[in-house]
Amino acid sequence: MSNKSKSSDGSNKIKVCESVWKKALVANAEWPDKEEFLDVIYWMRQAIGIILGLFWGLLPLKGFLGLLLFVIVNAAVIYFYVNNFQSIDEEEYGGMWEITKEGFMTSFAGFLVTWIIVYTGLHIADNL
Amino acid sequence: MWSDSLLIVFISICTAFLGEGLTWILVYRTEKYQKLKVEVERQSKKLEKRKEAHGDSLDKQHKKKIEREEERLKNNNRDLSLVKMKSMFAIGFAFTALLSMFNSIFDGRVVAKLPFYPISWIQGLSHRNLPGDDYTDCSFIFLYILCTMSIRQNIQKLLGFAPSRAASKQGGALFATPPAQFK
Repeated sequence: MSNKSKSSDGSNKIKVCESVWKKALVANAEWPDKEEFLDVIYWMRQAIGIILGLFWGLLPLKGFLGLLLFVIVNAAVIYFYVNNFQSIDEEEYGGMWEITKEGFMTSFAGFLVTWIIVYTGLHIADNL
Repeated sequence: MWSDSLLIVFISICTAFLGEGLTWILVYRTEKYQKLKVEVERQSKKLEKRKEAHGDSLDKQHKKKIEREEERLKNNNRDLSLVKMKSMFAIGFAFTALLSMFNSIFDGRVVAKLPFYPISWIQGLSHRNLPGDDYTDCSFIFLYILCTMSIRQNIQKLLGFAPSRAASKQGGALFATPPAQFK
C-alpha cells in the first residue's frame, strides 16, 4: 500500500517537473507559485554557467575579461528572460536584485570548474 | 594534469553524496527533524504573507502578532539547528580527516592551470603548497572547494534537502548549512 502511494508520488513529481519546464519555455506563462519560477531561474543559471565555462575553455578566453564577460552574459540572459520573455513583475519577487542573485554563486563556481578543466585539458601541454 | 583535475571532480561528487547520505541517515530521516522542518516552513510562509499584508500598517495588534510569530519561528529554527548540529560535527570531523588525506596525496602537485591571474587574497588558496611563482598554477584545495561549492549545493537541491527560500530568508544565518568540509 505504502509502496503504491510512494510510486504514485514519484510519477506525480516527474509530471510536475515536466510541466514546469514546458511552462518555462512558453512566453508570458503564469507563475502562481513563486518557488517554481525561482527554481527555473536557478537551474537555468547552472546550465548557463556550465555552457559558458565550456565555451570560454574551448576558445580559449583568458584573464579578467573571461570573468567579466561571464557575469555580464549571465545577468543579461536572466534579465531578458525575466523581463522580456516572461514579463514578470520583479517587485513580486523582492526586486530585480533578488532574481539576479538567485543561484549566482553556485553557477559561478560551476562556471569556474568547467572553464579551468576544459582550458587545462585542451590548451596546456601535459608536462607535469 | 588533466586526469588529476577530473579525479578531483569525481572525488567531490563522491564526498558530496557521502555527506548528504550521512546527513540523511543521522538527521533528515529522523521524525524530529521532519516535523520541525515542516513547522518552520509553514511558519515562515505564514509570516511572510502576514508581513506582506500588514507590513506598513501601524496597527499595534498586528505588530504584536508578527513579533510573537517571529519569536516562535526563531525558537523552532534554533531547535532545528540543534538537531543538525551533532551530526554536522561528526561529519565535519570525518571530512576534515578525508580532506587532510587528499591534501597529502596532492601535496605540491599542480592539478590544473588557471585561465586567469588570481587576485592576491585568493593566491594563498590557489597556490597552497605549490612550488614556484607561477600563480596561474592551481592547487588541489582551490579546485576542490570550487567543485564542492557547485556540486554539493546542486545535489542538495536535486535531492530536496536544501532549505526552502522562505525559511532561509526568515531564519537567516541560523538556518544556513555550513559546508562541513571546510571546517
